[in-house]
Amino acid sequence: MRIKATKADVNEVDMTPMIDIVFQLIAFFMVITNFENAKADERVKLPKDELAKPVEIKREKELLLQIGFIRNKEGDKLSDPLVFYAGEEIPVLEISPALTRENASYKSIGVDPKDVTVVIRADREVPTGLVQEMIKFSQEAGFEKFAMKATQKQDGN
Amino acid sequence: MKLRGKKSDDKIETQMAPMIDVVFQLLIFFMLTLKIIEPEGDFNINMPIAAPSQQQNDEINLPDIKVRLEAAENGLLNSLKLGGQNLGNDENAFLRLNAEILKIIGRPGNPLTKDVEVEIDADYGLNYEYVIRAVSACTGRFDQNSKQVVRYVEKIKFAPPRREGAPGA
Repeated sequence: MRIKATKADVNEVDMTPMIDIVFQLIAFFMVITNFENAKADERVKLPKDELAKPVEIKREKELLLQIGFIRNKEGDKLSDPLVFYAGEEIPVLEISPALTRENASYKSIGVDPKDVTVVIRADREVPTGLVQEMIKFSQEAGFEKFAMKATQKQDGN
Repeated sequence: MKLRGKKSDDKIETQMAPMIDVVFQLLIFFMLTLKIIEPEGDFNINMPIAAPSQQQNDEINLPDIKVRLEAAENGLLNSLKLGGQNLGNDENAFLRLNAEILKIIGRPGNPLTKDVEVEIDADYGLNYEYVIRAVSACTGRFDQNSKQVVRYVEKIKFAPPRREGAPGA
């Protein structure tokens, strides 16, 4: 009997299982990556509530206004309440011009500001009065619909 | 000149290296962009510009429910009041508010009381967290058995801000 000698120039590693696993990982990260909420500012510590349910029907037009504090790593407040708007930090009582600009830009693209929902993400320690002031400014700028964000309460909190 | 004929391979080998490169790039991209965010929900509030509830119509109008939140110096809750009734300032105050709202509307989804509005009147310096809890207590409750939200009052609005004389203002 003759045994055929196998010729192997290079030692080939079988790549298939590794590629399988890597694709699995990619699929996993793609699924859990949430690009929707990418605008949410991490500095805003939202209040928690068990009734805060994610919206089922996505709103067509929304204007996100976030009020929070600049905090250090321990979570201590380093500033007065600020509106984090378009990469800037604006004191709450000076937000009016920005809202007027928003109104004008909605109008210029043919959207009625009355149909735009102003979504408020306010830090849990912001004085309520400032949130109310911001609602008032928004009303003066022509917005009518408002929604306030909270995180869903986890058990035990 | 004689061209040497190449002997064809039995198996076609694909080049794996570039694909693996790209796949690793993708993997790293998704790993780096991953940001774990808690799910967020929201409460709708009803604040038309025409403002403070001056709609006069002939229907029998149920009086608005007025919820008053008073702040202590540091922004914590001092007292929670429904109409003239003091509900305290402890953890259970909001549960009491929830129960009182249910008494007022009769039963959830009651057509007679579906137009009832709740007006939340909070001190200027009160932490926003308490307002959300009050809004939540008026909006409904989470039924542990059915895992559903039972809606009480849909229409929530705010009283005008009280800037003067309030702590923290």
